[in-house]
Amino acid sequence: MSSADERIAANVAQWTKTNREFTDRDAERKWRDPQIYWGEFGTRDEWLGDVAGLDVVELGAGTAYFSAKLARAGARPVAVDPTPAQLDTARRLQRETGLEFPLVEAPAEHVPLPDSSFDLAISEYGASLWADPERWLAEAARLLRPGGRLLFLTMSTLAHLCTPDADDEPIVNRLVRPQFAPWETHWEGYGGAEFHLSHGDWIRLLRRNGFAIDALHELQAPSEATTHPYYLVIPADWARKWPGEDLWECTRTR
Amino acid sequence: MHEDSIAANIADWTQANAEHTDASAEKAWAHPGILWGVFAIPEEQVGALPESLEGLDVVELGCGTAYFGSWLQRRGAHVTGVDPTPAQLETARRLMTKTGIEFPLVEAPGEAVPLPDASYDLAVSEYGASLWADPFRWVPEAARLLRPGGRLVFLVNSTLVYLTAPEAEEEMVGTELLREQFGMYRVQWGGAVGVEFHLAHGDWISLLRENGFEIEALHELRPQPGAVDPTYYDFVTVEWAEQWPAEEIWVARKS
Repeated sequence: MSSADERIAANVAQWTKTNREFTDRDAERKWRDPQIYWGEFGTRDEWLGDVAGLDVVELGAGTAYFSAKLARAGARPVAVDPTPAQLDTARRLQRETGLEFPLVEAPAEHVPLPDSSFDLAISEYGASLWADPERWLAEAARLLRPGGRLLFLTMSTLAHLCTPDADDEPIVNRLVRPQFAPWETHWEGYGGAEFHLSHGDWIRLLRRNGFAIDALHELQAPSEATTHPYYLVIPADWARKWPGEDLWECTRTR
Repeated sequence: MHEDSIAANIADWTQANAEHTDASAEKAWAHPGILWGVFAIPEEQVGALPESLEGLDVVELGCGTAYFGSWLQRRGAHVTGVDPTPAQLETARRLMTKTGIEFPLVEAPGEAVPLPDASYDLAVSEYGASLWADPFRWVPEAARLLRPGGRLVFLVNSTLVYLTAPEAEEEMVGTELLREQFGMYRVQWGGAVGVEFHLAHGDWISLLRENGFEIEALHELRPQPGAVDPTYYDFVTVEWAEQWPAEEIWVARKS
C-alpha cells in the first residue's frame, strides 16, 4: 500500500472505533433534528441559503447526518465516506427515518462520481480535516458544476496551534506548535492523520483549484454552547474568545 | 471618532521620523531590491507584486519616507506617494533631490485621498495605511482609486502578533494568547501615541469582498535564513518568526 492508502486505512480504523464509541449512538438525534448546525458548538447555519433542488455531495459524511438535514430541506444529497461502519449507521437511519439518498464508500481523495454533476459540495469535519487537501480540493472542483459552491468547516488554524500533543488534552491559551510545519499531523493515542493548513495555504490551494474565496467565517461559540461531551478538544470558553472552527465559503469559477 | 487616530498617528510618525525614519531613509532608498517588512524579505521570494511594474500607475497609501515607492518607481512604475505626516514627506523630498528619483507626493491620510477615481493599476501599502488607517475607510478608498482589474497589495502584522503582543509597546511578542480575537479592530498599545487597526483574516476577506475585491493570496511571511532581529521595530525576534508568521501580505484584485 502507498503511504496515502495506509493513511486512509488508519482513518477508517479510527472512525470505525469512534463510531462504536460515539457516532453510532449519536446519529439518530442528529438525523431527526431538521435544524442545520455547523461544528461542535451548534452554530446555526446562515450560509447555505435555499438548498431545495440542489445536487449536493458531502465529502467525508460519516453517519451522513448533514446530508440527511439537506435532504429534509429538499436537496438531493450524495454522501461519500470511506468508513463502512459509519455508512452502516447511515443506512440504519435511512430505514428508520425514510430519508433515502445514495451512500458511496470512498475516500474524498478519489470519488467515483462523474465530473460537473453537483451544485454544492459540503464537508463538515470530514474530508476538510482527514483527507489530503491537495487531492480532495481537486476532487471537489471536478465534481462541481461551474458556479457551484464549496462550503467546508474544519478546526481553526489557531486552535491547532494551541493543541498539546496528547490526543485527550484540551487546547490551551498558548501557541504550542509552529505554524510553519507540515500539514499532516499524527496524534499520540490516535490512529489516523489530520491535515491542518494555515489560512494562506488554504487560499493558495483553493485558488489553484479554480475556486474564488467568498468568505472565511471564524466561528465564535454561542453563549449557551457547552464543551462537546465526546470530542472535548475545544473548550467552549476558549471558543468564545478565539475561533475554534473555520468555515470557508467558495465558488468554483472555472 | 476617526480623525483622532489620524492626528495621533501624525504625532507618532513625526516623532518616529526624528528618531529613526529620517536617518534610515537614505539607506532604504538606495537598496537595489524590493523588500518586505522588518525581516527585509525580498519580493522575489514572495511574489506578491505583478511580475512587471513597467508603466503601471501605482498609489502607495501611507508611504512614510516613500522608500517602497522609490523601489517601484525605479522599476518603471509611475508612483504617487500618499502620507499624512509632513515630516516624513519632507524626508522623501530630500531623498528625491539627492537620488533624482522623482514622483508626486500627496499629504493626506489613507482614509481620504484627494486623487481621482479609477486612475491606478496597483495600490500598495507596506506598514502604512494597512496598519495605521481605519480599514473601513482606507479599503473603500483603495477600491475607488483602482481601475477594474487593478491590484491591492498590502502588508500588516499577523493576527498571531496581535494576539500575543504584550500591552506595553516595548515588550516582545510571546506565545501566550493575551487578548481575545473576537472584537479585534482598533488598538492603542500601552505607552504608544499612535493608533493601530488590526483585523482577523475572516474580517479582511469580508471587507475586501464588500469593496469589490477578489481574494488572490495571503502570503504569511517567514524570515530568510540569516535574517537578523529587528532593532528599531523590535516587537518580534527571528526565533519567533521562524515558527509563526509575524507579518502577512494580502493580494486582492478589483473585479
